[in-house]
Amino acid sequence: MDVKFAKEGNTLIVLIEGEIDHHTASRARARIDSKFLMEPVKNMVMDLSRVTFMDSAGIGLILGRMNRVNSVGGKMTLRKPKPEISKILKMSKIESIVELDA
Amino acid sequence: MQPINRMKTEFLSKSSNEAFARVVAASFVAQADPSIDVLADIRTAVSEAVTNAIVHGYDDTEGIVTMECLLYSDHVEIIIEDFGKGIKDIAQAKTPLFTTRPDLERSGMGFTVMETFMDSLEVESEPGKGTKIRMTKQLEYR
Repeated sequence: MDVKFAKEGNTLIVLIEGEIDHHTASRARARIDSKFLMEPVKNMVMDLSRVTFMDSAGIGLILGRMNRVNSVGGKMTLRKPKPEISKILKMSKIESIVELDA
Repeated sequence: MQPINRMKTEFLSKSSNEAFARVVAASFVAQADPSIDVLADIRTAVSEAVTNAIVHGYDDTEGIVTMECLLYSDHVEIIIEDFGKGIKDIAQAKTPLFTTRPDLERSGMGFTVMETFMDSLEVESEPGKGTKIRMTKQLEYR
């Protein structure tokens, strides 16, 4: 799994590539959190268009980041999840608390 | 009923083996040529079960996890076992959003995912002895 960053105004774009499980999520979490702290940003867009697999560790990763973003008054958005991960996103009902930009 | 084919593997409770286990399980079941959706569901459920064994069974210490797959004409049975600390209260562990490890951002959805993505789930556990997860999935053909 790889994590790439970009900035659009006061929004941090987090592009995740590959598979999100408990193993890869712990490293991604540390990288995303330190970037979010370092950059002068408020909102986060998590681009899931290149995530090929995700289990419940991905749900934990998204909710954890959402809590951080919300704690500074920012907004969290999920962008373009592939059909491969739509079942777990639906099941977790995460779409009811995080904005989804299909 | 006799299985058509069977495999068993064991590996250390290292988190890097989560990907190994789900790829191996899906590769084994792929010989029955099921739908892509069935394989995706199996990958996800195996990932959850193996992660539980590593994170909760062994608390990230080193132990052995075994995975057995039994392939029948119309379904597959997958048994994932650890010999770690076991579960005191299985009903509580299966409750959606319940987790003993919020520090790791475990979402508490592991058993819910296994139950949703597979057709059956049985959990046997004894504190101090370990946990055995038995899951089945009907094989729909494409």
